[in-house]
Amino acid sequence: MGLMSNSTNLVSKKGPSLSWTISFSKQDQLAYIVLRFIALIIVLLLGAMIFILFMASKLAFSEFGFSFIYTDFWNPIEDEFGALPFIFGTLITSFVALLLAAPISIGVAIYVNEYLGTKLSTFLSLFVELIAAVPSIIFGLWGLYYLAPFIKNDLAPFLKSTLGFLPFFQGVSYGIGVLAASIILALMIIPTITTVCREIFKTVPTLNKEAALALGATKYEMIKLAIIRPSFSGIIGAIVLGLGRALGETMAVAMVIGNTPVISSSLFSSASTMASVMANEYAEADSDLHLSALCYVGLLLFVVTFIVNMFARTIVWRQTHKIKRRN
Amino acid sequence: MHLSSSRKFKDRLFKALLIASSFIVVVPLLLIFNFLLQKGITSLNLDFLLNAPKPVGEIGGGMKHAFIGTIMMVGLGALIAIPIGTLCGVYLSEFNKGRIAWTLRFTIDLLTGVPSIVIGIFSYLIIVVTMKGFSAFAGSFALSIIILPTVTRTTEEILKLIPTHIREAGLALGLPRWKVIYFILLKGSRASLMTGIILAISRAAGETAPLLFTAFGSMYVSYDPREPMASLPVQIYNYAISPYDDWQRQAWAGAFSLILLVLGLNIFARLYFKKNKFLKFFIKKS
Amino acid sequence: MNDIALKVSNLQAWFGDFHAVKGISLDYQQNTINAIIGPSGCGKSTYIRCLNRIHEEVDGARVSGEVLLNGQNIYDKKMDAVEIRRHIGMVFQKPNPFASMSIFDNVVIGPRLWGERNKDKLEEIAISCLKKAALWNEVKDKLHQDGTSLSGGQQQRLCIARTLATNPPIILMDEPTSALDPIASAKIEDLMTELKKEHSVIIVTHNMQQAARVADNTSFFILGELVESGESSQIFTNPKKKKTEDYITGRFG
Repeated sequence: MGLMSNSTNLVSKKGPSLSWTISFSKQDQLAYIVLRFIALIIVLLLGAMIFILFMASKLAFSEFGFSFIYTDFWNPIEDEFGALPFIFGTLITSFVALLLAAPISIGVAIYVNEYLGTKLSTFLSLFVELIAAVPSIIFGLWGLYYLAPFIKNDLAPFLKSTLGFLPFFQGVSYGIGVLAASIILALMIIPTITTVCREIFKTVPTLNKEAALALGATKYEMIKLAIIRPSFSGIIGAIVLGLGRALGETMAVAMVIGNTPVISSSLFSSASTMASVMANEYAEADSDLHLSALCYVGLLLFVVTFIVNMFARTIVWRQTHKIKRRN
Repeated sequence: MHLSSSRKFKDRLFKALLIASSFIVVVPLLLIFNFLLQKGITSLNLDFLLNAPKPVGEIGGGMKHAFIGTIMMVGLGALIAIPIGTLCGVYLSEFNKGRIAWTLRFTIDLLTGVPSIVIGIFSYLIIVVTMKGFSAFAGSFALSIIILPTVTRTTEEILKLIPTHIREAGLALGLPRWKVIYFILLKGSRASLMTGIILAISRAAGETAPLLFTAFGSMYVSYDPREPMASLPVQIYNYAISPYDDWQRQAWAGAFSLILLVLGLNIFARLYFKKNKFLKFFIKKS
Repeated sequence: MNDIALKVSNLQAWFGDFHAVKGISLDYQQNTINAIIGPSGCGKSTYIRCLNRIHEEVDGARVSGEVLLNGQNIYDKKMDAVEIRRHIGMVFQKPNPFASMSIFDNVVIGPRLWGERNKDKLEEIAISCLKKAALWNEVKDKLHQDGTSLSGGQQQRLCIARTLATNPPIILMDEPTSALDPIASAKIEDLMTELKKEHSVIIVTHNMQQAARVADNTSFFILGELVESGESSQIFTNPKKKKTEDYITGRFG
């Protein structure tokens, strides 16, 4: 029975209910073993992922070695593969996306934290989180059928007329291309950067902000001094996290970037990224070498996103620990 | 003492820029939703929702196969990922010492950052190649890898918010640790855990890349996990890049229903969470 | 009244390298209330947490010594800590009813998770414990409301009812009223006096007046050591040790 009288024998025969119940410490030991087993499975899963990617890339690696990374030639027909166009495409779209997204995200984070009242700030931050929820393919569709025509008909001519002397705005724009992909990517990573920035900004003690205002600073000056400057490394971390997200984005980019393995300085040109070439060519890859080359690209992407994400996490972690230590 | 006009100007300009940023963030989502609404709503009819596709060239038919496919594969993926993910979250929160915990956390962090296309390719190499064919099972496998890290993170974060003395109170009643974790901690947080799970599921429902080479897609209604299976995002993609007008029209209807589904789940999950005040009680006062 | 309910012999406890409890021996008699007082950091909480083997759940914690309940050492290698805790209840400083659980479920969670399935029995337990905890009248119409919807004082009484549901002969209380207002605290003090009829209570308190009001016996700790212990009336009016007197008269701590 469940209740014990006051003068019980403490040494338990077995549990109070069923005679086959194992002792509690054994139950807990068993639970711990199960948990550790599951943890090991997950770690093995990741190990398997790395291993399989390596094995699948082996053929291409034995054929091209590390020159794969800096060769600008992708020809499935002749089975000649060099991934530089895709690395370039990934880097340029991510870089331009960050350029666009970072100031906007920081701005929104500050606006929500420092200027808006509770209701509006909840509303705006919910909005931002909903953007994060929109599936990649929907961004792709919108990019292809709304943004691309807009770029072709309105934005590109405008840019050419004002900044056309720059190498970035040379050539004809058909709407799709690096610029379209970068804009879409920027939209997609804004929620990531904004959320992390908000968290970082929230750790600034109110006392510091009030001290700045008490000295006669304007709100802008207070924000610059008391919030942005001390959180600088955290902001960098947030941006790098956004970069990590941008690097891996597939469908939206695949639908608006044009998918030609071209390296060009113009933002109007079409291009291809590591993720988009995999999405586009994997299903139709005929030769083993082609498939292996695509897996090699996948491995490279995996490694790059891993390094970027770890870097970002270290920065953000260090920033939050700096704050904790200070407070 | 007057505030210099240049300082005042910078202050105002700054605020204006911030407001502009907020606009830039709000407007696109409205544009996207509106765009999908306009292009998709007329086609979002019962024919579309309840029927399988018609043969190429014929007008009409719908995405019943894709809706079923998404429900089945996300469901199966969730069935795999949620228990495992929750247990990993429990491990990281309650048994957080030693090398295994550190390795697990590192692994989960890594998995969160892996691009979904790479997960798709991994699933292809490990399952499709082994089974010698595309299958819904492979698709569910890929989706489960996507759902798992999110569920783990959420579970860990929620459990970590619960103050230690709650656990001690459970232990003090003479309960073994696993019962404290399951009946008191997990059951007590079920509302916020549900929120996290719904958000993870809604993300999986919108994923295209991992399904491209695993479930591949199909034009027929199927309930067999060993066969290729359609899914909403992949079907939208295939129709959208096809040359047929009617398919493109259906792609818009599909996209509109997808965004309704995903945003609906998101908003529902967040509202469901806010309704529960108990979490406020649990939040540690620092 | 005079059996020993709990006998502590040379109890020592460590947090890693820090020696928090340095060899304390005390006897607790049946059906008494025993207070432990002392300045912050004197090890009183650590000590009491050794009595139901909760201290060892902390990372790096270590205990040595004997604690005899009904003549059996709870620290014996054959003893299962989980089983022991069924016989020694604990009430914590912050009221902690379990979330997403009704008042009823909170009270009966101990017996229920021990295997008691009979609904009538559980109801019986709930009613009797809520009555003993002086909470029945306030909640009898809302047993299925969430446990956290009560006021602080009510929540603490709910936690006491929850502890009583397992009918432990010993009840430990770690500063049970420090988070409550004076009126709620007074209610709990009255409750303690009732409880000692059927249980033995050991209470840690930083409130000397409370110890003087409620406890039959009081022990005074400093830095993990027992300075003096005896009947409360003697301790508070005529302490034997100078340190005790200094503490009681407020010269330190």
